[in-house]
Amino acid sequence: MLRLIYGVALVFFAYSAFAQEKFTINGYIKDASNGEALIGATVFIKEIKNGVTTNEYGFYSITLPAGTYSVNYSYIGFQSISNVVVLNKNNQMSIELVDENEQLQEVVVKGEIEQANVQNAEMSTNKLEMKTILKIPTLFGEADVLRSIQLLPGVSTVGEGASGFNVRGGSVGQNLILLDEAPVYNSSHLFGFFSVFNPDAVKDIKLYKGAIPSRYGGRLASILDVRMKEGNSKKLEVTGGIGSVFSRLAVEGPLIKDRASFIVAVRRSYIDVLARPFVQLLKDGGALNFYDLTMKANYNINRKNRVYLSGYFGRDNFKFDKNQGFNWGNSTSSFRWNHLFNERLFSNLTFVYSKYDYALQFGRDDRNSFSWNSSISNFIVKPQFTYFINSNNELNFGGDVTYYTFEPANAVGVTNGKSVNLSIDRKYNLESALHIGNSQAISENFSIEYGLRWSYFQFLGPGTIYSYNDTIPGIRKSVNKEKTYTGGQTIATYNNFEPRFSFKAQINEASSVKGSYNRMAQYLHLISNTTASNPLDVWNPSSNNVKPQMADQFTLGYFKDVGEEKKYEVSLEGYLRYTQNQLDYIDGADLLINRYLEGDLLSGQGRAYGIEAYFQKKTGRLTGWVSYTLGRSELKVNGINKNEWYETRYNQTHNLKIAGFYDINKRWSMSGNFVFTSGTPTTFPTSRYVQQGILIPYNANESRNNVHLPSYHRLDISFRLEGKTMKNGKARKNSDYWVFSLYNVYARKNPFSIYFSQNDQRLPAGQPLQSQATQLSIIGTIVPSVSYNFKF
Amino acid sequence: MKTHAHLSIGAIFLSLALVSCEDKISPTLENAAPILAVDAWINNKPGKQVVVLSQTQGYFDATNPPGITGALVTIINNSGKVYSFVEDPLSVGNYVWMPAANEVFGPVGQSYTLAIQLNGESFRASSRMGRVPAIDSISFETEKRIGSLDSITRAAFWATDPVGSGDTYWIRSFKNGVPLSKPQEINIAYDGGFSAGGVADGVVFITPIRRRINAVDKDANGKQLSPIAIGDSINVQIHSVTLAAFDYLNQVSIQTNRPGGFQELFSTPLANVSTNVTNTNINGSKAIGFFNVSAVSTAGKRYKK
Repeated sequence: MLRLIYGVALVFFAYSAFAQEKFTINGYIKDASNGEALIGATVFIKEIKNGVTTNEYGFYSITLPAGTYSVNYSYIGFQSISNVVVLNKNNQMSIELVDENEQLQEVVVKGEIEQANVQNAEMSTNKLEMKTILKIPTLFGEADVLRSIQLLPGVSTVGEGASGFNVRGGSVGQNLILLDEAPVYNSSHLFGFFSVFNPDAVKDIKLYKGAIPSRYGGRLASILDVRMKEGNSKKLEVTGGIGSVFSRLAVEGPLIKDRASFIVAVRRSYIDVLARPFVQLLKDGGALNFYDLTMKANYNINRKNRVYLSGYFGRDNFKFDKNQGFNWGNSTSSFRWNHLFNERLFSNLTFVYSKYDYALQFGRDDRNSFSWNSSISNFIVKPQFTYFINSNNELNFGGDVTYYTFEPANAVGVTNGKSVNLSIDRKYNLESALHIGNSQAISENFSIEYGLRWSYFQFLGPGTIYSYNDTIPGIRKSVNKEKTYTGGQTIATYNNFEPRFSFKAQINEASSVKGSYNRMAQYLHLISNTTASNPLDVWNPSSNNVKPQMADQFTLGYFKDVGEEKKYEVSLEGYLRYTQNQLDYIDGADLLINRYLEGDLLSGQGRAYGIEAYFQKKTGRLTGWVSYTLGRSELKVNGINKNEWYETRYNQTHNLKIAGFYDINKRWSMSGNFVFTSGTPTTFPTSRYVQQGILIPYNANESRNNVHLPSYHRLDISFRLEGKTMKNGKARKNSDYWVFSLYNVYARKNPFSIYFSQNDQRLPAGQPLQSQATQLSIIGTIVPSVSYNFKF
Repeated sequence: MKTHAHLSIGAIFLSLALVSCEDKISPTLENAAPILAVDAWINNKPGKQVVVLSQTQGYFDATNPPGITGALVTIINNSGKVYSFVEDPLSVGNYVWMPAANEVFGPVGQSYTLAIQLNGESFRASSRMGRVPAIDSISFETEKRIGSLDSITRAAFWATDPVGSGDTYWIRSFKNGVPLSKPQEINIAYDGGFSAGGVADGVVFITPIRRRINAVDKDANGKQLSPIAIGDSINVQIHSVTLAAFDYLNQVSIQTNRPGGFQELFSTPLANVSTNVTNTNINGSKAIGFFNVSAVSTAGKRYKK
């Protein structure tokens, strides 16, 4: 496959040789303060009223006929720079932009407002600046990437305590989360209260909810692309924070000034350390903590070659005592090599290793114990090319190959020293894809992006597979055949063509209409039938029994800038997504340590649709946004809900988010956010009956998700106090700030679930059993917190 | 599986538990007409066997289930032998079979059909008596309680699943003669392990199953009580159950064992458990509940210092 890609690349070399009278301007756009590449910065050529944006590595390239051009470089939150270029040869123009809060005299400041969303061809994408994320009030005062994106339109969660997030009515397992191109299979620490991304080490996050470019694939609902900082290439810098739940420390700096840099960031929670004197369980060897380590280094070999090495290692650790416990974590590492074949052909070659695993250990001693672990790991090779054909065309092509190893369960029970192995065979899979896509400006006001992805999935030996008898849908399927394959044999294959298309029609300078269609295929399935996703959920590959999930999504949106200086942005987007081969589970499904798991799975179709409205104020002392989503997400599966459509567990009709940021004075600022969402669906019983002394709930209408929990709303406020900038009349070298935050200000008991049970009392014979309903609120009070953050 | 593995996860969320809370609520539920509920767990122990017929109630109806009178209840084995169940005049809804001297259900391998005639409708359910291993012994172990000075004593039973996969059991226990029938005390086994996919054929029942015969009781402060004190007796019965009954009990356990708190993160949403009682007229009224015929092995022991 690599050969094919290089073949395609060669064709373009040949093509470029004919374009004699044209010249290329290219280079990198960086942050002047620390040398970090700026992703998505705009390079605009006034004469042609067109431009390009920098890619994930801060690189841009634009090819124009010879002439004199005025080139404007801009990026949100940075001062723009304009240059006049006489183009009679290829030009390398690497630019460093200065933060708009810093005043440097020699730079020409142009107060131009970004109009990214209106003029950019992309739609259904959201970008959150780290600067903004750091201001959003959060639980325990800790800035968090995933909790922040939940304030964006179309993004939701089923509540506190749920791992992951839901995009446009998709499940948690339908999001692809990439950390420097390495997939992250569980994005949560502490059951979703925090995400695995250390904000000190994150540079840029971008969420694709629709109009997904052909270079991405493998999940139905969204792609969250998280890019880590490269590390300050100009000077050594230490940042950190001390909070009520954990502390953070990050060190970054140049290895070789302006050519090589590194960053190392660590976090560790210490609730257990603080609580140890008071809690006997912790004294006895119990533990409750998480930590993570994020590292990256890069080396700019020469103008045409640059390499990056990134790594993440994190773990959550719960111990009931010295011998018993539960832990889980991700580790990822990626090596990337940027290579410039010529002025217009940029390439990146990525190698990734990524793993998610969890382990449980029960039992008092070695002679009587039960241990169990599970993992998913993969190796990825991913060559990607961008060919900047001319100012109207940007061609992306490449491929990726992923080799997966699944360990569904390694479980060993030891009884009086005799062990019983309950382990389930590993599964091996290969997922490959080829993709090509072009963004093309048809005219000044109309541009399109089109592409095609071809994905191919192989279920490989060695392994034993089972086939199942057909039965009444909703009942466990029994095994009718098993077959064993050896290494090298292919057990099942699937392949899909995934077309992608989007357009942008500029109505006038301040408004545009955009639309898209994309098809996505997903070969891995997150198996979860609990109320909310949790760390024990296992990933299961497509197989002879489980078909890949497919989605077709259509979107249409209207984008407008309003007000003087275009300080407000308004957008309205509708989406409609049909999905096939959606998984659901028979009642009483056994998903863990079960080699016949696939006999408990059901398959059906899904549909999700909605409208997202977004209003943002981008400048001034008061900034912020209002986001409202009206949506619906449903499934239809034979064997569930009398075979009729039912709402998904994460369906939310109304989803309103308001985020505001206000600068009170030079040192104090405040921010607040308010969230209102409709209660998520749940199932209530109608009746009860008794069986051998046990009270059993019964829904006589056989309905699924027939009622809704009470609605969820919450207000959070935080205040930030900047440290003094002057000390004894001199400017301080260090900077610091305090964050005081209040989560759930009016202490609403937002329900996580309502469950039905029989009273725990042991009753004398003949007494009627008592039934009860209980509402659980994971956060039922106001949670105040303080954190101190520093940088020097 | 869930219920076993997640047993103690919820207990340790110390800091988070400070901010979470639970409230008893009284939501309005949809109304539903009552239907027939069958509670027919027959075994091969000497003595009377009972089938209980009742009506489903509204979920919050805190009275004893209304018994159904006037039904005709029989069990027929595959050799045509008929066991007639007679309405108990003292307890409404109970239908009783009184054996002749030394007469019991069985032997192992025998199949049975339950037939219920009620208001002109006819309901059927079938079962087969499976084999059951003998219980070798019962042991007690005492250990220091985590996070406390006092100790905790638990019982465990010892038995070996016979070779040949697909044996399914319900292990029921009695403390001082009182049946332990709380939802969290449901103890089922597939061979010697948790499930068909677990591959534990022909082994000693695995640790979590061996130990799950203890009473789960808490004091007024929510502190777990030691299941066994000096002088307590424990009686363990292994009942062979059909695969369908095993699946049924597994579903019952998932649906009824709701300890709440952070274990809710690992709970599945509410769903109906299955039934093996069907109306011979497919368009007739519905029935729920279960019929199973078990072979039983028993052992008991008193805890002495």
